[in-house]
Amino acid sequence: MSLLSRFGVTAPGWLWLLPLALLPLAATAQRRVPVPALAMVPADGLSRLVDAVLTLASVAGIGFLVLALAGPRLAGESVVRTGEGAQVSLLIDRSGSMNETFAGRQPSGAEESKAAASRRILEGFVGRRAHDLVAVSAFSTSPMAVLPMTDRHDAVRAAIRAIDRPGLEATNVARGLGLALSQFGPGAPQASRVLLLVSDGAAVIDRRVQPLLREEFAKIHPTLYWLFLRTAGSPGLADRPAGEDTPQAAPERHLDLFFKSLGVPYRAFEAESPEAVEQAVREIDRLERKPITYVERRPQHDLAGLAYGLAAFALGLLLAGKLAETDLAGWKAEARRSVRPSEDPASQPTRRAA
Amino acid sequence: MSTDILYRLRGPAAGPAPGAHRARDTGGLGVFRDQVPFWRHPDARRIDLRATLRDPFEGTVVRRFEQRRALEVWALVDASASMRFRGRGETWALVTELCTALARSATRIGDAFGVMACGARAETVVPASRRRGTAEAVADALAAIEPRGASAAGLAEAGASLAGRRKLVVAISDFRLPGPVLAALFERLQGHDVVPVAVEDGAFDEGLPAFGLIELEDLEGGGRRRVLMRPSLRARWLSREADRREALRRLALRYGRPPYRLADRFDGDDFSRHLLGTAA
Repeated sequence: MSLLSRFGVTAPGWLWLLPLALLPLAATAQRRVPVPALAMVPADGLSRLVDAVLTLASVAGIGFLVLALAGPRLAGESVVRTGEGAQVSLLIDRSGSMNETFAGRQPSGAEESKAAASRRILEGFVGRRAHDLVAVSAFSTSPMAVLPMTDRHDAVRAAIRAIDRPGLEATNVARGLGLALSQFGPGAPQASRVLLLVSDGAAVIDRRVQPLLREEFAKIHPTLYWLFLRTAGSPGLADRPAGEDTPQAAPERHLDLFFKSLGVPYRAFEAESPEAVEQAVREIDRLERKPITYVERRPQHDLAGLAYGLAAFALGLLLAGKLAETDLAGWKAEARRSVRPSEDPASQPTRRAA
Repeated sequence: MSTDILYRLRGPAAGPAPGAHRARDTGGLGVFRDQVPFWRHPDARRIDLRATLRDPFEGTVVRRFEQRRALEVWALVDASASMRFRGRGETWALVTELCTALARSATRIGDAFGVMACGARAETVVPASRRRGTAEAVADALAAIEPRGASAAGLAEAGASLAGRRKLVVAISDFRLPGPVLAALFERLQGHDVVPVAVEDGAFDEGLPAFGLIELEDLEGGGRRRVLMRPSLRARWLSREADRREALRRLALRYGRPPYRLADRFDGDDFSRHLLGTAA
């Protein structure tokens, strides 16, 4: 959008006064001194420049005042830009176990809970790259859309800061994934899309939901990262359970298998400590760097102040011109003063004596 | 009542009537001029007995005396709008004062005085007259004139109406005229004794401000111009004016008298000095 097409005024009625700006071409605030012939005045470039500047300043002074009264503004707009980054959909587990430490206890003293650790690290991750678009969703029993895809990183950080509030009980991964996928929305197909799942456990994905999820993943094709905050002692992703190898017995392992079967780039990070979490995040940060088009929103810009400022500047110039004004007639008074003493009879004897 | 203005014609006068100025004519009274044989001037009352007796050829010698003649004095007044200027002095008032004083002085010694106002055309506003009331008529006539128009071409035209005997012609103008008009003015008045009176003003002389912004407006409709005065421009301005004055002086001298500078106020004695001093 060009600058001119964005330009607008709030009270266009005032603009009918704009022809007044041509007034200085005919009239002047300076005192006009009549002279017998202008030809007696030597041509002077500087004078012509000053004249042009002052005329322009008078036109601008009235013009900008009228414009300022009309309330000029630049309409807001959205600018599509290209930067380096990714569309990141954060999916964060808000189940009750997130409130525990990596050791599986309630945090006490200097220990931090899994939620607090992930909050700290994710906060850093979000701030690092300016053009990332981040959406935040959380899930426990049901998914919660916390923040849609946005480039307002302050909002994202605020959303992330909220994830260490005490969580709820259950873990329903399937619906959470569905919501996180829907956060990507249409548009920007060439952008790199990252789904970052942060959880400390898994749940069974219903067989009936699985095809729907597969379909969604195939459509959106995000890179899937699973930051698995593993509690010490709990089974890892690769560990086969001792008994029957069913999703119910080892939900983490089967979720991992499910993700692997999705056909999208997938990587799981098993993190057993805050340091491991940080490393995983840094890894993601390193991997996901691709050009991304993002929309920058510019707010409406009020130009009245600028117009008043320009008018004030022009009026200042005119004032300076007025103050610098001098007069031939002013010398008339002085001449009279200088003539009078010689006509004064009292001064005659002195002259004769001299 | 100002002092009388004294003036003298360059060269002999040739007026219609006896008057105050030296002339070529001879007459019975006045200053002795020369002696001629009786047959050239058969006036028995003026026979110079001594010279007649002294003459070895026994001719009769007659004394001749200068016959003084009256003059016609004309004022050609530039009536273009530029004469409306008011600076330290009021141009038109100065002109009126000068013309009135000249009219009074002229009629007092028996000369006729007339005024022509020259705008785009020359117009006789007061015909040459020796009447006593001429000065008042001149003052009234000039007061009634509102100088206007951009042209003072009438100044050059005026020469045509002033044909005839040699006259004293006082051309009053600011002489900011186009070259051809100026040349034609002097050219056409060649037969007369022309006294150019250049009306100027101290405001454009030493009165020019050294600093400041002035918006100047041409009285003759030549537009307006803003000028940023500063010492260098002032110096250029003054040197230009000096050049113009010098050029006018050279031109005027070629035809007789140098111009008289009438500025700020009218000084009759000064004008008399100029008239007498340049009459040689």
